[in-house]
Amino acid sequence: MKALSLILAVALGAIFVYASVEKIADPRAFARIVYHYQAIGPSARLGFAPANAVAVMLPWIEALTGTLLIVGLWRREAAVVSALLLVAFLAAAGSALARGIDVENCGCFTVGGEGRRAGWRLLAEDSAMLAAALFVLAAPARGRLRDRAAAAAPAR
Amino acid sequence: MAAIMAAGIAAGLVWNAVSGRGLALRANAFLREGDAIEEIPAPEAKRRLDRGALFLDARPAEFYQLGHIPGALSLPEDDFGRAYARLEGPLHSRFDIVVYCSGFGCEASHLVARRLREKGVAAAVLLDGWPAWTGAGYPTRTGAQP
Repeated sequence: MKALSLILAVALGAIFVYASVEKIADPRAFARIVYHYQAIGPSARLGFAPANAVAVMLPWIEALTGTLLIVGLWRREAAVVSALLLVAFLAAAGSALARGIDVENCGCFTVGGEGRRAGWRLLAEDSAMLAAALFVLAAPARGRLRDRAAAAAPAR
Repeated sequence: MAAIMAAGIAAGLVWNAVSGRGLALRANAFLREGDAIEEIPAPEAKRRLDRGALFLDARPAEFYQLGHIPGALSLPEDDFGRAYARLEGPLHSRFDIVVYCSGFGCEASHLVARRLREKGVAAAVLLDGWPAWTGAGYPTRTGAQP
């Protein structure tokens, strides 16, 4: 279970880091994709600020979370953040689907030109990644394993 | 967890400020640096329509037929060259042009306004486009006729 958790954490981390690269390089293009979801504006009431803020901040949270998952520092906390991000992605894509909004490029990995459509396949992939994040979260941390082993060892 | 989120947010804001690739948080990301395209809200667009402004519908032609602003001409961004050739005369005689598209994530109105400006035609963009217009309860018309 520990080995599987490690593999999933590194794989999930690599996906998050890879997903952040283009968005960090071109936040303006990513902002336009965020607009397409019509979830947090822009609108007359909200203006552009919420959508632009997401476009500016989200890729860095992805990059940091991914890096922590890979290197193993604060891995459980990073797994929580990655799970929350994936829930947010699922909500955004699901909401766009439910409202009949055709998001041609989901903004998952690329921000320019052709991308993957925000559809059922994307929901399935995000759900699988969410399951992986929850598995990493549920796996006992290294320190806890040591504690359990010490507790199980016969007293001298 | 909060520390990761806070560090990510801080990194994003710093990068946005210093990288030279950032965007103004309150501005439309479709607008480029130095763009002088005027954006007007729906009530101002309605005032201009009442004063006889020319409206251009930058959405695909099928959308125009399903519903458009009364008097608007179809100038689809995806067929700009042909549509512009058809409308060039009237466009160059007008100084009160407003372009609109599907709103929110739609870029077509800005693209059309930018291409018109390259051809010496000034045009404002209706902020949030068609949804802002219909949301305000302003009149619309269906069919191929303006």
